[in-house]
Amino acid sequence: MPLSYKSIAPLIVSGKNIFSKWLGYFGLGIGVLLLFVSMQMFVNIGQLLKENNPRKSGGYDFISISKTITNENMGKDNSFTNADLAKLKEQSTIAGVAPLISNKFRVRGTAGDIIPFSTDLFLESIDNNFIDTVPPTFTWEPGQTVVPVIFSSDFLEMYNVFAPAQGLPQLSAKTISSVNIILECSGPYGSQNFKGNIVALSDRINSLLVPQSFMNWSNLRFMKDTAVHASRVYIKTKDANDPKLISYLDQENYHLNKDKVKFSRVKSILQNIVSALGVFGILVIVLALMLFSFYLQLMIAKSKDNLRLLLTLGYSPKWLAKSVAKTWLPVYLTIIIVALIFTEILHLLFRQLSFVRAADLSYFPHWSVWITAIFLFALTIFITLNLVRKELVKII
Amino acid sequence: MQIQLREVIPDYIEKEKRIASQIWGQNISIKKGEHLHIVAPSGSGKTSLMHFIYGLRKDHSGSIFYDDTDIKNISIEKFSAFRQNKISIIFQDLRLFEDQTVKENIDIKRILEPYHKPEKIIEMTARLGIENKLNQLAKTCSYGEQQRIAIIRALMQPFDFLLLDEPYSHLDEANRKKAMELIYEECEKRNAAMVFADLKPLDFFKDEKVVYL
Repeated sequence: MPLSYKSIAPLIVSGKNIFSKWLGYFGLGIGVLLLFVSMQMFVNIGQLLKENNPRKSGGYDFISISKTITNENMGKDNSFTNADLAKLKEQSTIAGVAPLISNKFRVRGTAGDIIPFSTDLFLESIDNNFIDTVPPTFTWEPGQTVVPVIFSSDFLEMYNVFAPAQGLPQLSAKTISSVNIILECSGPYGSQNFKGNIVALSDRINSLLVPQSFMNWSNLRFMKDTAVHASRVYIKTKDANDPKLISYLDQENYHLNKDKVKFSRVKSILQNIVSALGVFGILVIVLALMLFSFYLQLMIAKSKDNLRLLLTLGYSPKWLAKSVAKTWLPVYLTIIIVALIFTEILHLLFRQLSFVRAADLSYFPHWSVWITAIFLFALTIFITLNLVRKELVKII
Repeated sequence: MQIQLREVIPDYIEKEKRIASQIWGQNISIKKGEHLHIVAPSGSGKTSLMHFIYGLRKDHSGSIFYDDTDIKNISIEKFSAFRQNKISIIFQDLRLFEDQTVKENIDIKRILEPYHKPEKIIEMTARLGIENKLNQLAKTCSYGEQQRIAIIRALMQPFDFLLLDEPYSHLDEANRKKAMELIYEECEKRNAAMVFADLKPLDFFKDEKVVYL
């Protein structure tokens, strides 16, 4: 018989406490599974909510704030002053500020003959950098009778809800661009009709946006007004959930539409939950490895006489440690592979959930899960090998 | 390879015993091919000396050298290598795996650094009259039989030195002679040195150097 662990295996008493051994396997399996699944879910949630959030672009959140209307300030001018805007810009949590400038003159919109629709409208303009969809046609120069308009997708959705009841046709995102709106602008200093052309839909800003050049020109033309009256301001921030930002806005009595950051909040809550689950998983792994360590120590203590004689006969402690540790290798490997399989199953089930767009998620677990699996395998082998070697040196 | 004892004195030994000894506190070197017969009554430290040389105990003053290396400086791993192919021992207390068969007890040493083929186990056990015990558990063998198992086990590896600590204490005259012949043959094959400790001088050693511990 050649030299192998098989020849010395009968000399190593594996211990009668099968229960603690299986409890160790089970614990390690559960811990590893918890860790893998929480990592995968963390990635999944981040992926889904990132893709879903139109306010987020280039790592920034764009959120709108306004002054809170209270009984005290009701009826007063609650627009943002230049000083307010300057103060906002100074905040470290705010990367950019853009006021939404609204029209001072009257605007009436009709949709012509195709859709018998007529309503008072409001127009707003904002720095192009704050708009999520800016086509190259979104420009206006004095003399132009066609005004490009960016329409809120939420408004389109709302329109499509009440349109059938009003006997109006429902519109798709594509057909809305072919609808011509007549914008009847009037004020004390004159009136003029423009052709409104919807050039894009915005998920981020709930408004009817016109180019800034048109807004400045028309406010001057119809109202002789050059002052900036911004009742809404868009801020660009790294994290809309930053407690520092929230507390500053609260302190200044600015109102933040909580719905706007709901995604981010849900995401951060969910990610906190899965992170906690991951930490719990790590804790379980540590406990399971400790249980294994006790089991190994007990095994070596029980086989002490035989191991000592083997060492006396010339068996190398290194070889013995390696051989004993090797017997645990398939156990650890099986546990990790089974945990990976379960993680994949749970991941696939997650992909099947109704609110998940499966295309956003990869078919297999995230690479970080694979790296963790390899790391855990190496760690368990390293711990076992070192523990056995240390125990062997002790008994010599 | 040679083994040198340089003023080795066990920590526990009384002064009178030390002065009378031809080994304790002396400088002795044993070279390959030499035979050293150490004779001493019980309790005078034969087993201690064997364990000192084999590196199992360190409770002594002075130094023991394997060639030019003080064995105090030899790592555990290096000692394993020496015990695999340079130095072999037959313990007085035999040290067998009681729950293993005779064959397994011998083979566990052989596979470590095979000097002989597995068939040699059968041949040697036949020479010493225990071939029918091969598949019996060691613990069910008599002390005399166990002594012969320990002898054969020690001869399974390559060695330059063979340490024998009262290896025949439970053997009758005929078996003692057979065992001695086998050991001599095996040592000659390897041109190995033999350090033999016993209570009294043995007939086989009549032409050789005897030192009193």
